Amino acid sequence: MFKKILIANRGEIAIRIARACRELGIIPIGVYSEIDRTSAHLNFMDSAYHIGDSPPQASYLNIGRIVEIAKKAGVDAIHPGYGFLAENTHFARACADSRIMFIGPSAESLALVGDKVASRNTVKKANVPIIPGMEGAGKEISSFKKMAAQVGYPVIVKASMGGGGKGMRIVRCEKELEDSISAGQREAQSAFGDATVYLEKYIEKPHHIEFQVMRDTHGNVIHLFERECSIQRRHQKIIEETPSPILDQTMRMQMGAAAMKVITAADYVNAGTVEFLVDGNKKFYFLEVNARIQVEHPITEAVTGVDLVMQQIRIAAGDPIGIRQEQLAQHGHAIEARIYAEDPENKFMPSPGMILDLREPQGPGVRIDSGVYKGWDVPPHYDPILSKLITWAADRQQCVARMRASLREYIILGIKTNIGFMDRIMATEVFKKGDYHTHFIDENIHELMPAYDHMHAALIAAAISASRGTRMNIVTDPGSKQGTTPWQELGAWEICR
Amino acid sequence: MHGRSAGDGVRDLSMNYTFIHNGKEYSVELKRNGDNFTAQIGEVKFNVTNVDSEQNIMVFSLKDIRFAVYHARTGNLHYVNIAGENYVYEQIVGVSYKSTEGGGQKGNSVSSPMPGLVVKIPVAVGDPVEEGVVLAIVEAMKMQNELRAPRAGTVKKIYFKEGQQIDALKPIVELE
Repeated sequence: MFKKILIANRGEIAIRIARACRELGIIPIGVYSEIDRTSAHLNFMDSAYHIGDSPPQASYLNIGRIVEIAKKAGVDAIHPGYGFLAENTHFARACADSRIMFIGPSAESLALVGDKVASRNTVKKANVPIIPGMEGAGKEISSFKKMAAQVGYPVIVKASMGGGGKGMRIVRCEKELEDSISAGQREAQSAFGDATVYLEKYIEKPHHIEFQVMRDTHGNVIHLFERECSIQRRHQKIIEETPSPILDQTMRMQMGAAAMKVITAADYVNAGTVEFLVDGNKKFYFLEVNARIQVEHPITEAVTGVDLVMQQIRIAAGDPIGIRQEQLAQHGHAIEARIYAEDPENKFMPSPGMILDLREPQGPGVRIDSGVYKGWDVPPHYDPILSKLITWAADRQQCVARMRASLREYIILGIKTNIGFMDRIMATEVFKKGDYHTHFIDENIHELMPAYDHMHAALIAAAISASRGTRMNIVTDPGSKQGTTPWQELGAWEICR
Repeated sequence: MHGRSAGDGVRDLSMNYTFIHNGKEYSVELKRNGDNFTAQIGEVKFNVTNVDSEQNIMVFSLKDIRFAVYHARTGNLHYVNIAGENYVYEQIVGVSYKSTEGGGQKGNSVSSPMPGLVVKIPVAVGDPVEEGVVLAIVEAMKMQNELRAPRAGTVKKIYFKEGQQIDALKPIVELE
């Protein structure tokens, strides 16, 4: 087993990985950008190294610097987390060249499945259904136009190295195509360091269902069932649950078998996710392989009892999986809500800033993977994810109730978050029934806006607070170098007196 | 500062507080009476009883309904959470708030609502632009935001270059 692992990430996932390291007796080593000097994840590391300026290109995407630090720190392995360099072939290769184990698939399998175009072709050969579209990355605008006309509009432009909806654009007519391609390329370049995009047929109102798979160096392969990820905004999942309310056992087994075929065909080793789209007729199509630990992995952990991050580390160290398919079952129901610093009332605009107060829910069946703390300034440079709230219960109805109660308990003040929005989604009849597709949010955005039922009480609270000039509630901005003056601390009542 | 009881000499003081929420203005007239308050919002009067607050939690009763409110403030911004709903109020201090009507200044420039990186400025000084045309693209938190012309006009001034880091609410492109 490894002795030291460098965690090439930040926020909640860096903390999640550090916890797995601790439990395995491995020393976690952290890295941080300039603005992340005071980030929560560093408290979980035995040592931490500065890797560059705040923009991701200068720090968390800086392959040369990270590998250099890994060598200096004397680590045996690097865990990339998700996002940043998690699916970057150059990074996996740079690790291999420096005799550091990359915790993830080999550079070759990464190149294959990380490249959406190449993976489509491999999967097609393994007789798993795929969505019609380009068989090669598009270079000329004419090739995009030709394929779009062939499969028919609407089409979707995707980043070849992409994931999480970044660099993705739906195109409804030829007029929009060129702009969408260049916008997708820019976003892809910034998010993944690779501007390559391709095009495929866009399936209207699909369900997004993915299967967790795992394969070891001894050729053992298992799947850990599905995650229903159809609640999305801007093509990015925000709520996931397992089991999927729309799958029956037959379809579950078919899709699980297909998922295992996919990673075996790609000679993929380690934990991965095979994503499928399921259309209105419950026909499923291979979408892509996510060659990393996923944001939503905790719900699978909750229902299967398998620690996925620990398994990733063990597989990378050469251990066999040690779990047989027939030993696995889905116990109860789990839901994850991704808590983002964003404003659902304003097109989900990111909302960086200082967290003035933070109170996390607790209780049976509640798990929080968080990367923030009270008094921390959420920086504008990275993905706005703050934490993940996961609830588990014996059945779906109880799990939804537990999630809603937990969201109610979750207080974050000082920045805008999607906590209330999450609760309003789960209050809808469609969500309660469990038959929702990926356009659910777009189609119901007006009904999902807050009612502001307590406006008067809230105004009164603000007025009372204002009347007191409450010293204890003011967190001064450390950047401003100005503290509160005695006058500010006194407040209006005292001045009147 | 909580827990001051009646008899400390603070009586019958009336203060008026003005807040902006989602562009709408609200006035609260607050009168203190010992540990209790009366509040008037528009035509509606409230008796606020059993007021107690500690750290960021304030508890009070309105018409026998007990509210536990989480609140925090920074500068003039008040953050309030009540029964799962979040409110952000901007308190107007000093001069009374002037409505945007007839202000004229708004709509002459675009700025980013948050700090970020200027990715692209597809216009140049002197360019005539239609309403809704993209004047700048700013990236923050991995998302690219297109800042569009609020009206038709001519580009008068460009304050930043592509690749520059910008602060929130600073004009990027100004129209004539």
